[in-house]
Amino acid sequence: MRRLKFLFVFVLCFFSFNVLAQGTDGSNYGNTNVKVFERTESNKWGVNKHWTIDSNNLGNVKKTPYVDSSRKVYDFAEILTDSEESVIKKSIDDFIEKTNIDMVFLSINRPYNKDSENEAYAADFYDYNDFGIDFDNYSGILLLRNDFSYNRYYDIYTFGDAQLYFDQNRYDNILDGIYDSFVGKDYLEGIDYFISKCSYYYDKGYAPKFKNAYITGDGYIKFNYSFPFMPCLLGAGLITLITMLILVKKNKMVRKATNASEYLSKDSIKYTEHVDQFVNSHTTHYTVSSSSGGSHGGSSGGGHSCGGGRHG
Amino acid sequence: MGKVLDNKCPNCGAAIHFKPELGKFKCDYCDSEFTAEQLKDMEKIGNEEVDTTNYVNYNCPDCGAEIITDENTAATFCVYCGNTSIIKNRLSGEFAPKYIIPFKVEKKKAIEAFKGLRKGRPLTPKAFVSEKNIEKITGVYIPFWLYDVDVSGTVNAKATKVSSWSVGDTRYTKTDYYKVIRSGNMVFNRVPVDGSTRFNNDMMNSIEPFDYGKLIDYNHAYLSGFLAEKYDVSKDDAFEDAKVRTINSTRDQMLSSMVGYSTKTITSSDLESKANNTEYVLLPVWMVNVKYNGEFYLFAMNGESGKFIGNIPLDKKKAWIVSIISFVIAFLLCALISYLIYCGGNA
Repeated sequence: MRRLKFLFVFVLCFFSFNVLAQGTDGSNYGNTNVKVFERTESNKWGVNKHWTIDSNNLGNVKKTPYVDSSRKVYDFAEILTDSEESVIKKSIDDFIEKTNIDMVFLSINRPYNKDSENEAYAADFYDYNDFGIDFDNYSGILLLRNDFSYNRYYDIYTFGDAQLYFDQNRYDNILDGIYDSFVGKDYLEGIDYFISKCSYYYDKGYAPKFKNAYITGDGYIKFNYSFPFMPCLLGAGLITLITMLILVKKNKMVRKATNASEYLSKDSIKYTEHVDQFVNSHTTHYTVSSSSGGSHGGSSGGGHSCGGGRHG
Repeated sequence: MGKVLDNKCPNCGAAIHFKPELGKFKCDYCDSEFTAEQLKDMEKIGNEEVDTTNYVNYNCPDCGAEIITDENTAATFCVYCGNTSIIKNRLSGEFAPKYIIPFKVEKKKAIEAFKGLRKGRPLTPKAFVSEKNIEKITGVYIPFWLYDVDVSGTVNAKATKVSSWSVGDTRYTKTDYYKVIRSGNMVFNRVPVDGSTRFNNDMMNSIEPFDYGKLIDYNHAYLSGFLAEKYDVSKDDAFEDAKVRTINSTRDQMLSSMVGYSTKTITSSDLESKANNTEYVLLPVWMVNVKYNGEFYLFAMNGESGKFIGNIPLDKKKAWIVSIISFVIAFLLCALISYLIYCGGNA
C-alpha cells in the first residue's frame, strides 16, 4: 500500500513537471495559482541569463518550470494559504528593496533519494528563471521546502553576491531557527523568521569567512590573496622551534635506559594465563546528511551555496 | 692503608692531588685544576658531597716507587716509570672479574670518533673538539654486573575493539569492551648495570649494548695501558636498576601480546624480578672530560662497538645564527605555501 502511494505521488509529480510546464500562455501549475510558461527554442528556452544552453543541460532546462520571476512565492506543494502568500510576498519585496538581493520561496512535493536532488532542483529553478537578473552576479536567496510526506526537507540556497553573506554558522542559525515552525507546519512563522534573519545578516555584512572574497561572473566564490603575515610568522616560529629542538636533542646523547628489551630471550616467553574476556558492548549512531553545506556548481554552469539542509 | 681527609674532584669525583709544579690541586681523570681556597669553598658549599675517602699506598711492581690511589682504582699508571700498575688485591677474591671484553677500538680511532661528533651537529662549538681536549682521552675498564633475570607475574588490562559501518544515512559505531589478562614469565640475559658510583648510570646505559660474544676469561694482561676500576656498588644494590628495566620490558611485552584491540590500558600489574645468575665483568670504555666555558662535559665511548655518547654543549652564537636562518627560510616557505594554496583553491 505504501509503495503504491509512493508510486502515485511520483507519477503525479513527473506528469506535472513535464506536461503542465509546457503551457504556452502561462497555464496554472496543477491546482495551484502558480503560472508556468512554455520553454521553446524561440524564447531561448526561457533562459535570459548568460548560461550556455546545450545538450548537456537542455534536459534540465526543459524540466524546470518556467515561471514569472516577479511572483517570488511559488507554492507548488500548496502549503500556504492565499493570505499567507500575500504576507510573505510583501516581506520579500521589502527585503529585496532594502538589500538589492533577490529572494524566492519555493515549495514542492517531490520524491527524492538524496538531499542533493533537492539542491539540483532548487539551483535549476533559480538559474533557469529570471531571478536575480537585475542584481550583482544574479544575487539571490532561495528557501526550498520539499513537502514530500515520506521525508520532508528544507534548505537555503544562495546565488551571486548573496553567497558572501552566509557562512555555515549563519545557515545553521536560520535552518535551526525555523525547524520547529516547519515541523509544526506554521510556515508563515518560519518564513518570516527566515526573511528577518536574512535581513539581519545583510545588515551585519559579509560573513567573516568571506571578508576577503568575491564572486566570479559564473557565481563562484573566490578569495583575494592577502599575505597571511601572522600565520606565516607563527608557522615559521614553530618550524624554527622544532628544528632547534631536533638540533639540541642531537647534542644530548645521554638518556636513561628504562627497559631491557634487547636482552629479552624471545624463546623464553611463556604465558600461563591468556584471557581475552568480552565484558560488554556499546553502539552509537548518528545520521549523515547526504548533502553538505558549501559552494557547489549547478547544471547551468553557475555556482551557488547551500546550508546543508534539515529533514523534518 | 691510611685514612686521610680527601678532596674529591668536584667535577668527576675522582681523587684529586696537589701538583707542586702548578701550585694547585689537579685531577688525573679530568684534568680539572683547583686552588686550595677553591676546594675549601667548595667543601663548605657541598660539605655532604665532599666525603672522606680511603687513600691507599702501594708499591709499583716495576720500579718499586710508592703510589697513592683511591680505594676503587684497580689499575693506574705509575707516575715514576709510566707503566701500568695493577693493584692485584682489588682484582682478586670477591673483586675478581669473571670476564672482560678487551678494548677493540684504539685510542686513535676513539680520537677520530670524538672529532666526528661535530658532524651533523651544527650547534657544536668549534673549540670543543680541539686537540688539547682530545689528548685527554683515557681508556678505562669499568666494572659491570651482568644479570640473568627471570621476571614472572600478571598484567591486567582493559581493552576495546571499535568497528563502524553505515546503513543508509546512518553511521553506527560499536565499541566492544574486554578484560584482558596475561600471566607468565620471561628471561632476560646479561642485563648490564655499572658497578661504580664514579660513573654516571645514564651515561653507562647510553653506551650499551656491548657484544657479549667478545667476552673472554679475565686476565690482568688486558689491563696494560688502561685504567681500571673495581666495583663499589654491591650486586644486590645494582640489581635494583636491572629490576626496574626488566619489569618495564615484561610489561611492554605482555601488552604487545594483546593484539587486535583498538585501545589498551593497563589497570594493574604484579610482576616479580629475580636474578638467576650474576657475573662480574670489566667492560672497555674510552672516557674524556672536556672543559668548555668553565663547565665540564664527560664523554664515553663503548670501547668495543665505538659508540660515542655525551652531552655536547651548545654554541650560543651558532644557535642564534641557525635559528635566524631557519626562521627566514621557514617564513619564506610558509609564504610560498600560502600562495600555492591560494592558487590551488581558486583553481
